[in-house]
Amino acid sequence: MSTHFSLYQPGSSYLHRLHPLTKLTFSLAAAVVVFGGPGGWLAALFPGLLAMLLLWRAGLAWRAALTIFRLLALLTVVLFLVHGFLNPHNKSILLSLGPFGLGQEGLAYAALVALRLAATLAASLLLTVSTQPAHLVQALAEAGLPYGLAYLLGSPLLLLPQIAGRVRSIQAAQQARGLKTEGSLLQRARALFPLAAPLIFSTLVDVEERSLALEVRGFSAPNPKTSLNELVDSPAQRTARWIMILLAGLLLAVELSWRVYASH
Amino acid sequence: MPAIEVSSLTYTYPGARAPALQGITFQVEPGQLIGVVGANGAGKSSLCLALAGLIPALFHGQMQGTVKVCGLDTRLHTPGQLAGKIGLVLQNPASQLSGMRYTVYEETAFGLENLGVPRSEMPARIERVLQQVGLAALGERSPYTLSGGQQQRLALASVLVLEPAVLILDEPTTMLDPQGSQAVFKIIREAVEAGTTVILAEHHLEWIARYADRVIALAGGEVILDGLPEEVFSSPLLLEAGIGWLRCTVAAQQASPLGLWPASMPLPVTIDAAAAGFSKAARKLRDVDPDQ
Repeated sequence: MSTHFSLYQPGSSYLHRLHPLTKLTFSLAAAVVVFGGPGGWLAALFPGLLAMLLLWRAGLAWRAALTIFRLLALLTVVLFLVHGFLNPHNKSILLSLGPFGLGQEGLAYAALVALRLAATLAASLLLTVSTQPAHLVQALAEAGLPYGLAYLLGSPLLLLPQIAGRVRSIQAAQQARGLKTEGSLLQRARALFPLAAPLIFSTLVDVEERSLALEVRGFSAPNPKTSLNELVDSPAQRTARWIMILLAGLLLAVELSWRVYASH
Repeated sequence: MPAIEVSSLTYTYPGARAPALQGITFQVEPGQLIGVVGANGAGKSSLCLALAGLIPALFHGQMQGTVKVCGLDTRLHTPGQLAGKIGLVLQNPASQLSGMRYTVYEETAFGLENLGVPRSEMPARIERVLQQVGLAALGERSPYTLSGGQQQRLALASVLVLEPAVLILDEPTTMLDPQGSQAVFKIIREAVEAGTTVILAEHHLEWIARYADRVIALAGGEVILDGLPEEVFSSPLLLEAGIGWLRCTVAAQQASPLGLWPASMPLPVTIDAAAAGFSKAARKLRDVDPDQ
């Protein structure tokens, strides 16, 4: 339900059934390979395609593709414009617009950056669209991460809907008092200040009240914790996680070694 | 053994000049509902936090005297150790959601998980408490899609599922409509009948008068009155402390010099008592002057 966490899609696909740590390991390993693996384009393309293929098999590819498009469309246009016209390595000019020239090298670099971002996003969406944040927190805690730290990592995402609701309330209250939140960019920027202060203060008050409510529900109770939901893990998944870690480490080492060798 | 023993409790928040609580002493027997009333800043919330063991543990400051709940000195036990024995429900329903669980059912399980209750015991306890608060049909809903009243009932369920011996409620119906308040008070009364000791800090005196076994009135961090609802709510001290009287009490007091309230009856603190008194006065008037 998007009311709780906008990216998670409830379901029972094979991706939903995978242990959260397996998906987290894939996302992190993919990010390492995309940005640190050898082969440039291939290193970015392969993990991204693999992630989309896995999402497609779980029936989540369209959702992921739409999210990637929404998040990256504007950024990609900016990347192409900035690097196309301003990249210092531009030599082959494809198009001249007055003093500016659209360079092939800059466009290629912008495409690589966009591809890397899209691939990393696809890999991380594989985790976020199929995993309840609470299950990820539980998995991290079961893996040995201190419970408080696991909560700290998960809670910003988990509390997003509440914060969004508060923003809407404050916005409505300020609009009722004559604040203009529509109009030019400058007007919108000005409108942010009267929204920010009440949002920050009320969120801080909320944090105190929430911490009290958590305490009386045994958040820091000294006993070992149990869980309502059992996260199913398997030797095959554990092995897969180690293989992904080793593979990502190996590819990173190859790329770093190559760079050191090439620099000499 | 008393469920709660407070002895000479004085507490000052860090950086504050005056104490928020001063020389508070009282005892509560198990299975009672104690209403705590007072104007804003009288110390109601501070008392609730002290009884829950969160003052001074989380707020620091200076505390003198002792607070014992279920025989446990709150200064010698951490909030984590007291969790499960003492429950606390605050006024804002949304900020009491853990933010960690996706459904109402899972949210209710949060405290059980923290206290290490075996998984096999959880479903029965969760289903029972969701039934009790009337949320059984909404178990699979996201807590964020519930109304304010439903969220407050969920906050209550999340605490009641831990089966605390003492339940502390700090203005739990402030953000609710009359219907939502009625539902919450019904649950609270049921908990009392099941043996839970309840401390209820509340602005709405009508609810306290209707449901509490005993009332403690605070002013300036001190206990100014401690007694039965009919004693406390008709005391002039309540007016001096800025708490005020119930409308039915005021009506009876104003009617009394006019002979419209029976001199033999104490001032009423519930609608039912007021109706009985005014009916009696009306009957008496009719007997004196049958034309009326």
